[in-house]
Amino acid sequence: MRNTWKVAKWEYKRNATNKSFIISTLLTPVFILIFTFLPTLLSGSDSTNDAEAMQVYLQDEVGIAPQIEEFVDNQESLNWDIEVVQDNEEAVLNSIEDQDNQALLTLTEDAIETGVVEVKTSEEVTDSFFTQLQILSQPIQAYQFEQLGLSESELQQITSGIMFEKSEANAPSSEEEGSAQSSVTEGELIIPGIFSLIVLFAIVFTGMMIFQSASQEKKEKVSEIVLSSMTPGELMQGKIIGYFGLGLSQVIVWLGFGVPLAAWRLEDVPVLESLFVPELLIMVLIAILGYLLFASMFVGFGATVEDISSAGNFQGVIMMLPFLPFIFIGPILSDPSGIVATVGSFIPFTSPAVLIMRMAMLGELPWVEIVLAIVVLMISVWLMIKLAGKIFEVGILMYGKNATPKEIWKWIRA
Amino acid sequence: MNQTLLTVDNLGKSYKDKQIVKDISFSVKKGMITAILGPNGAGKSTTIRSMMGIMQPDEGDVQYQGHPKQGVPHQKVGYLPEERGLYKNVKIMDIILYFADLKDYPKKKAKARALEYLKKFGLEGKDKVSVEELSKGMAQKAQFIASIIHEPELLILDEPFSGLDPVSQDVFKREIRELADNGTAILLSSHQMNLIEEIADDLLLIHKGKTVIQGSMEEVKEQYSNYKCTIVGENEASLFENLPSVQSVEQDGNRTVLYLEKDVHLPTWVTHMPQASIIQEMTIDRISLHEIFVGIATEKDLMKSGGGANHA
Repeated sequence: MRNTWKVAKWEYKRNATNKSFIISTLLTPVFILIFTFLPTLLSGSDSTNDAEAMQVYLQDEVGIAPQIEEFVDNQESLNWDIEVVQDNEEAVLNSIEDQDNQALLTLTEDAIETGVVEVKTSEEVTDSFFTQLQILSQPIQAYQFEQLGLSESELQQITSGIMFEKSEANAPSSEEEGSAQSSVTEGELIIPGIFSLIVLFAIVFTGMMIFQSASQEKKEKVSEIVLSSMTPGELMQGKIIGYFGLGLSQVIVWLGFGVPLAAWRLEDVPVLESLFVPELLIMVLIAILGYLLFASMFVGFGATVEDISSAGNFQGVIMMLPFLPFIFIGPILSDPSGIVATVGSFIPFTSPAVLIMRMAMLGELPWVEIVLAIVVLMISVWLMIKLAGKIFEVGILMYGKNATPKEIWKWIRA
Repeated sequence: MNQTLLTVDNLGKSYKDKQIVKDISFSVKKGMITAILGPNGAGKSTTIRSMMGIMQPDEGDVQYQGHPKQGVPHQKVGYLPEERGLYKNVKIMDIILYFADLKDYPKKKAKARALEYLKKFGLEGKDKVSVEELSKGMAQKAQFIASIIHEPELLILDEPFSGLDPVSQDVFKREIRELADNGTAILLSSHQMNLIEEIADDLLLIHKGKTVIQGSMEEVKEQYSNYKCTIVGENEASLFENLPSVQSVEQDGNRTVLYLEKDVHLPTWVTHMPQASIIQEMTIDRISLHEIFVGIATEKDLMKSGGGANHA
C-alpha cells in the first residue's frame, strides 16, 4: 500500500506540474466563461446595431392609444417610437414610403370588433417587427373585453388560458403521495445531478490519460525498473489513485469557477442550497464508481498498447466506451423511468451517467432499483480491477508490439 | 568478504509449451562480479527477471541471505533491466529521487549521492535538465545512477554495456569494478565476451536456457583454453581423425581445424603429422572464450573439447 501511494504521489506531481495539464485545467473554465458571455455580448452588440428603432405611427379612432403606449413602454424588448397621428395621414404615408423601419397601425372601431388591424409598413422593417406586433394583441384584447363589459373575474378566467397537466393512470393520487418516502419533488435534484455529471466526466476524461500513461510507461520502458520495487498491482493502483487525484483537482478548479458563476447567472435558482443535499453523496459515490470502472479498464488496456497512433480498432472501441451513455440521453429525457433508462442503469459502462441523470430528473426515486444498480456497478468495478490487473501484469512487460484481442483473452484466462 | 549473498537453484521458466530456461543454478557473492553470458535469446533476461520476481518462475529456489522468503528483498537490490528508459518529461533529479523513494532511501542522502554520481559521470549541472534533452549515453548513465542510488547490496545489470560507446563502456566498467571492490555483489549479463573477460570474477554461460559453462574466470579459462591446430591445404578430414590427442576435426573447404586434447605435448604431437598431408599454412593456438561463445551461438560442436564441464 505504501508503494501505491508513492506511485500515486509521483503520477500526481508529474502531471500536475506538466504545462499542458495546467493549461487545459485553466483554459477550460475560460472557455466556459467565454461561451457563457459571448451570446450576451453578441446580442448586446446586436441591439446597438438595431439602434434604428421602429417608428410606429398609431392612427387611433377609438382612444386605445394611451394603453398601447403605456404597454409598449413597459416592454423593454420593444425598441419602438410611438407617435399618435390624427389627421396628417398623407404625410405619414409619404414618410413610410421614403424611409425604412416605419409602420402605421390603423385602430378603428371596426378593427377592434373584427380583430383585424391594418398595418402599413416601409419596404424594410426590423427583422422581428411582425413577431413583436403580436405582443400588442394583449392590450387590444384587454380593450375588447372591456368593451364587452366583462367583470374582473370573468376577465381572469378568459385570459388564464388552458393548461394540460400530466398524471399517470396508475400513479397514486397526490394526497397519498404525501406519505411517500422521498420528500424530493421532480427536478429538484437537477443541480446536484449536473454537478455529479461534471465530476463524473471530468474524472473519467482524466482517467483516459491513464491509458496514455500506461502505454507511455511501456514505451519509455520505465515499468521494469519500477516493478523491481513493487508488484504490478501496486503500480496499477497507484496510477488509478494518482489520476483520480488529478481529475479531482481539475474538477475543483472548474467548479470553483462554475458554481459561483451558476449561482450568479441563475439568480432565481438557489444553486448552493439545492446542491448540498444528501442525494449528492450518492451521486458522487456513483461518479467515483464510474471512474474506478473506466480507470481500471484504461490502465489495463493502456498496457497492451505501445504506440497509441498504431493502436488497433479494439483499443479504439474501448476508448469510446465512456461516450456510450450519450446514446441514452434522448430516451431518458423523454422518460426517466422507461425501459431504456432501466436497462441503461444496469449496463456497467452506462450505468453511472444514466443513474445520475435519472436521479436528477425523477421526483420519486426508485430506491430499490438504484441500490440494485449500484451493487451491480460495484461488482463490475471489482471484476474490472481484477481483469485489468491480469492484463496489466503481462502487457506492461511486453515490448515491441501492441497486443491483439486474442492475446489479451489468453492473459485473462491464464 | 566473498560471502554468498544470493543463491539460485534449478530455476526454470516456460511460456506455454516452450521451456525458456531450465535448471539454472548459480550464486552471487559479496564483492564479486558474476556474469551471465549467452547469445541473444539464450534466456539471460528471463533468468534475471524470474530471479527478480518480475516474472513468476515455474520452478526453482531463489534464496537471498538473511531474507526469510523466496526471492530478493526489493529494498536491498538495484536493478537495471535490459529494456530500460526514463519518464520523458521530468527532471533527472526528480526521477532519481523517485526511484530512491521507491527503495525507501532517505531523500537527503539520495540527493547528495545523485549529485556526486552525476559529477562522476560528467553530467554535472544536468540535474535539473529534462530527460528528453539527454543523449542516449547520458540517459544510460542516469539510469545507472538510478539503479545504484540506494546503495544496494546486490546490483543486477542486464546488458549494461549495450548501446554504449567505448569511452562510456570504460566508465561503466570502472564503476562496476569499484562498486564490487566496495563490497557490492554484482550480477550482470552480456553477450559481449571481451568486456566480460575483463571484469567478471565468475562466469555462467547459458545457451537455449541451459547452463553450458560455469565456474570462476580462471577455472574456465584454464579448462577451455585448449590448443587447436589450423591447417590450410587440400586434405581429407579423415586423414587427421586417427592422430593421437585429436578430439575433433572440422573442415571448411581447404581449411581443416583440429581440436586437441588438454594435456597434449605439442612438440611430440607435431611429429605425428601424416606424410600425405598437404600443408600450405599451419597455425597452432588456443581456443578463446570468444570462440567458445561463438561456437555455442552458432551451435558448432566445440564443447566436446571441454568434456563434462563444471555443472555445479
